[in-house]
Amino acid sequence: MAGACFHCGEPVGDGTPLLATVGGQAHAVCCIGCRAAVEWIDGLGLADYYRLREGAGTRAAPADDFAEWDRPRLARRHVRELDAGRCEATVLVEGMHCSACAWLIERALSRCEGVHEATVSPLVQRVRVAFDPRRTRLSVLLAALARLGYRPHPLEGDRVDALRTSERRAAMKRLIVAGFGAMQAMMYAVALYAGAFDGIAPAVAAFLRWMGMLVATPVVLYAARPFFAGALREWRARRLSMDTPVALAIGAIYTGSVVATVLGEGEVYFDSVSMFVFLLLLGRYVELRARQRAGEVADALVRLQPATAQRLVDGTCETVGVHELEPGEVVRVGAGATIPVDGVLHGARCRVDESLLTGESAACLREAGDEVVAGSVALDGPIEVEVRRVGPATVLSTLARMVERAAAARPRVARLADAAAARFVLRVLAATGVVALAWMIFDPSRAFASAVAVLVISCPCAFALAAPAALTRAVGVLARRGVMVVDADALEALARVERFVFDKTGTLTEPAIDLARMRIARGSRASALAAAAALEQGSTHPFARALRDAARGLALPAITAVRETGGGVAGHLGGRTLRLGRAEFALAAGDDGDALVLADDDGEIARFPVVERVRDGARAAIDALHAAGIACEIVSGDHAHRVRRVATTLGIAGWRAGATPADKLAHIAALRDRGVAVAAVGDGVNDGPVLGGADVAIALGDGAAIAQAASGIVLSGPDLGHLVEAREVARCMLAVVRRNLRWTLVYNLLAIPLAALGFVPPWLAAIGMSASSLIVVVNTFAIGHHRAARRPSAVAPAPPLPRTQPA
Amino acid sequence: MNIILALIPVSLVLLGLAVAAFFWAVDAAQYDDLDTPALAPLVDDEAATRDAGPAPR
Repeated sequence: MAGACFHCGEPVGDGTPLLATVGGQAHAVCCIGCRAAVEWIDGLGLADYYRLREGAGTRAAPADDFAEWDRPRLARRHVRELDAGRCEATVLVEGMHCSACAWLIERALSRCEGVHEATVSPLVQRVRVAFDPRRTRLSVLLAALARLGYRPHPLEGDRVDALRTSERRAAMKRLIVAGFGAMQAMMYAVALYAGAFDGIAPAVAAFLRWMGMLVATPVVLYAARPFFAGALREWRARRLSMDTPVALAIGAIYTGSVVATVLGEGEVYFDSVSMFVFLLLLGRYVELRARQRAGEVADALVRLQPATAQRLVDGTCETVGVHELEPGEVVRVGAGATIPVDGVLHGARCRVDESLLTGESAACLREAGDEVVAGSVALDGPIEVEVRRVGPATVLSTLARMVERAAAARPRVARLADAAAARFVLRVLAATGVVALAWMIFDPSRAFASAVAVLVISCPCAFALAAPAALTRAVGVLARRGVMVVDADALEALARVERFVFDKTGTLTEPAIDLARMRIARGSRASALAAAAALEQGSTHPFARALRDAARGLALPAITAVRETGGGVAGHLGGRTLRLGRAEFALAAGDDGDALVLADDDGEIARFPVVERVRDGARAAIDALHAAGIACEIVSGDHAHRVRRVATTLGIAGWRAGATPADKLAHIAALRDRGVAVAAVGDGVNDGPVLGGADVAIALGDGAAIAQAASGIVLSGPDLGHLVEAREVARCMLAVVRRNLRWTLVYNLLAIPLAALGFVPPWLAAIGMSASSLIVVVNTFAIGHHRAARRPSAVAPAPPLPRTQPA
Repeated sequence: MNIILALIPVSLVLLGLAVAAFFWAVDAAQYDDLDTPALAPLVDDEAATRDAGPAPR
């Protein structure tokens, strides 16, 4: 793994590499954070992690300060006190890839001082940790997770978790009851069938029937309850779906068999009904697992809501939990960050994006004194907001309900399939009635069996399952590969996309401040760096992150009245106005430079050359898209020569430079008018509306929160290779849905006439119907199975860097 | 053949026990994590090694 970090797999920078020692052997790592992680893991005796894991870890950030989670009012919501000396918290851990990660987290946490027990559920990326509040604090445990390279998010209570767990456990119990019941009932049925041919004592036959009823009863009354409940719900909503015929069939077969058992004459079908229930439950269980994996997506959305806020007290900021805020207090919100409360805007005007609340992607201008709502995103900033409403009183809680509703709302594909299933069910019920009537006339003794056979063999479940099963499987597969599908319709659109429009900065490239070539006009290097980082403190722009990383460890000066605009950032420091941005902004004089300039009223202080490097794997991803016949283009607000250089490096023919957000939006609208399905890939504050305008919006997860809010698909890492995978999975999903619908149609057209003519006994019908549902579910396993050839990006050296010289 | 009149109820009692055991296992979170325990045997049990003292050379 020469050239790649031992811990996270990112390329190790030029120059002397940092070394970390594991088991007496030195390995190169990319940063201090990763070295700390490696050495800590080794120090705990957990170096086996590197042997067991399936993929590289996440780059370890030097531990953030988690002290705010210890504030009693915030902790109360996240830490449950079980009894004296035992508290419990549930933490969602971002970056958990494989079982080895789960193993590492479990062991590392268990070895922390004061931890009773740590339980990891890799399925839902959760850690439940029980600890002694007298010996440790939540912040210590969070910091430990951060040191390992994971990003912890304490969860408020574990309502959702508990709900999912109990849902899964109940499904498993039902499945096992139905399975055991079906096995037993089948045994008695085989004995009865054999006895019918070879002769059986009537008393033994009656005994076997009673035993069959004994085992089938819990199957019908306990295991099949979801179907009856579903049918009842459908009946109340005056809506037909798959539960109605299923419940009717189960009820009819069971009642008929019970009557036959009690009267001692006629056929019993306890085996058919048990197996029918078992196979249906099996399909449902598989779907449930896929859905629960996909549930991570909803969690990702919830994470967009801030849990903490910057409270402004006497001109200084302190981080507090949102729930601690009182009306009348003032909070500060950085550019691109989500406003945590409903309140009134103080100070200067600002643009906010309320698209999460209103669906309106255009930014709204808010003047001082106007009301802003929690959950909207501040585009300019930092801004100051006087708190009016907090917590459940805010529009934010409405937003949470909207998110839940969005998660419950079924995507278009599934809705269409549902409507088709309802029509189909109606026809099946009609056909059943006709068949029963017809047999009544010709041969009443076979009417019941034939009607039941038609009801059972027709398979609306396969219709209704076809789309959602494929969709949930695709969403789950992608979630495990770091692609979160926020809007399920986006997957369908992604499969049809013909053109990708990329933003350049932060998407195809990542900026780096070249500190070696930083030029100082006045003052010291450290003071210039610290001032620049202090100015960029509230911003989520990639440059700001690069600067903050560079200034880590320096004491930052207190800068007041920080304002971020399109051109750069400005603020006051000791009576001077500091400006940081492009030369024309910072110096108020044209200067065709690519560097960031830090200046005050007297002129330039320092100049930071901006080096732009193409993201690892970008070239491979673009090549793969081209190979798949997808057109790619770059639309960027940047200078033409830089855009051209990146385009040439990546082999992209079409590019536009100097485009404003409005230009980008117009360009995408023009493409869509020509009938081209467009996917926009972006990251950064000015991408929000552009992403909203495309057929599919894809955001890079490490970008600004706003880009994620407007997007349908979020890549949770910077690896563009996921884009290619996501497209393949989406296409595969559509293919599977089509194949499933075709198969279901063919099956029903063949089976229903046979059953109506009385050729199919109910037990065979039950097998046919369950098998067809199962085939639909099994078909979906093809999604994500033929994994694309391993992307070379993880270890391959970065492509040649298009370096841009400072002016 | 009358033996089945006794054996079938016995098998049903056993079945009931099996279902009860399974319900207990599900409720005791035995099925909640099916991934991590698979790795446990691959890892040297450092506690045991420590107790055993330094490995003989």
